[in-house]
Amino acid sequence: MNLEKFRSLAWADFFLYSLIDPRALYRRVKQKDPDAFWISFIVPIFVSLSGILLLSLLGRESAFFYYKISYGWILVFLFTFIKILIYTSLVDVAAQFSGLKGNIRELLTLMNFSMLPTLFVLPAAYPFIVGDFVPLFFYVLFSLACFIWHILIIVQSISEMHTIEFGRAFLIYLMPAVVTGIILLLTGIMLVINTAGYISTFM
Amino acid sequence: MERERKLTVAILAMLILVAVIAIIDISFKIEEKRSREIKFVMPDTGAGVGIVRVEGPIELSSPSGPFSLPGGAESIVKRLDALAKDSSIKAVVVRINSPGGTVAATQEIYEKIMKLRKKNIPVVASMGDVAASGGYYVAAACNHIVANYGTVTGSIGVIAFSPNLRRLFDKFGIQMNVIKSGKYKDILATHRDMTGEERALLQEMIDSSYGKFVKDIAVGRNMSESDIMKIADGRVMSGSSALEKKLVDQNGTFEDAIMKARELAGLDEESPVYEESTSPFNEIFGQLNRFLGSRSIPGTEMLYPVYKLEYRYMQ
Repeated sequence: MNLEKFRSLAWADFFLYSLIDPRALYRRVKQKDPDAFWISFIVPIFVSLSGILLLSLLGRESAFFYYKISYGWILVFLFTFIKILIYTSLVDVAAQFSGLKGNIRELLTLMNFSMLPTLFVLPAAYPFIVGDFVPLFFYVLFSLACFIWHILIIVQSISEMHTIEFGRAFLIYLMPAVVTGIILLLTGIMLVINTAGYISTFM
Repeated sequence: MERERKLTVAILAMLILVAVIAIIDISFKIEEKRSREIKFVMPDTGAGVGIVRVEGPIELSSPSGPFSLPGGAESIVKRLDALAKDSSIKAVVVRINSPGGTVAATQEIYEKIMKLRKKNIPVVASMGDVAASGGYYVAAACNHIVANYGTVTGSIGVIAFSPNLRRLFDKFGIQMNVIKSGKYKDILATHRDMTGEERALLQEMIDSSYGKFVKDIAVGRNMSESDIMKIADGRVMSGSSALEKKLVDQNGTFEDAIMKARELAGLDEESPVYEESTSPFNEIFGQLNRFLGSRSIPGTEMLYPVYKLEYRYMQ
């Protein structure tokens, strides 16, 4: 993206459509003017930044946290990126299982932009943190609201991308979470059984 | 469209501004916290007193298990060695809460403490609930002994024991096939009575270890062996009674022992105390090991006697 395009503010369309019209977002991404793929990564970067700032503002002051804050940054950044990458891959797999065409590059772009509402948690919760007025409650409340907003954006984008109805798009988005949940539950049960077996050999 | 784009940029700029404000806010908190912590950390530098803990039965190495960590007399000797090499350690307090243990392990710790004394590092013993037999042996190596009034101490002596299960074996008609290279090879065997010769042989070992015990206490306490012998019949006593019999120098607490160590080393009252550092992982694994590690198959210790001579107070 050259300076001319940057000054034209065409890139701002992605952010604008993320918030007001997710279906238009997909159509704008598809135009590739400018290419939204790398621009979209600005959102998870700022989501990570926002996350660590909220953790810092809400968390208890501990020597470990403040002196080892660099580890926290790396951890939150890595976690955010890996989470998005894995979940997008799973959603793409779920779409292909449903007989749709895989499109990981565009889906990843949309997934990144759909995280945009999460950035509003910080300014929304900040007054309550400064005023020390049940900050944790409002943090959870705004986080939930923004998460629902994020789901609405990504589901509408998927719906537009595959030209399918909202309900089917929602199922495709939800399927990886359900499957992952079941796998984690079974793994947890097996882990408990194995640990109990291991410990019992020494008793 | 142009207007909407500018509005979007304004919203993004607002988000960045909030983030910058939050960063400044957090930076101030970090500075505030750091200045508070520097004040707290300050005393833990410079010349001070090192702490060594002797807890539980004394053995050369700790029981092994799936989560075992270095322990036992070997780790105590290593800790003493580390303190001796540390230029900021000017005195050592040995906190003892032990009924004693094996002869060799106890002597290892005793000798190490004596080496510290030779290096002109004052060593003060602080007795906890119990510092009897081998526990007292370790304390005797120190320059000064502080015992609580209620500390159980004394029990100067040596013990070895094994169960005699001959009648039980006879009752169940069990016979042991023993093939041995010499007549003493199955000494302390549980399936038969001990012979007079065997008893005499073990008694000789016990007497030898006992003699060493009394001699070392006399050296450590700067007393005559005959004075020690008067009370070295295995009797236990309280801390206050031990003071009367000159087995300890002072009745007091752990803090009193630290103050005495500072006094002997010429340190000021606010000088730092260096405790043994244990990471949370070590604590977790230590707990797990205590839970899992020291268990053996029930009954095996009865069938296979463990050859142990112990400076130990049998509770």
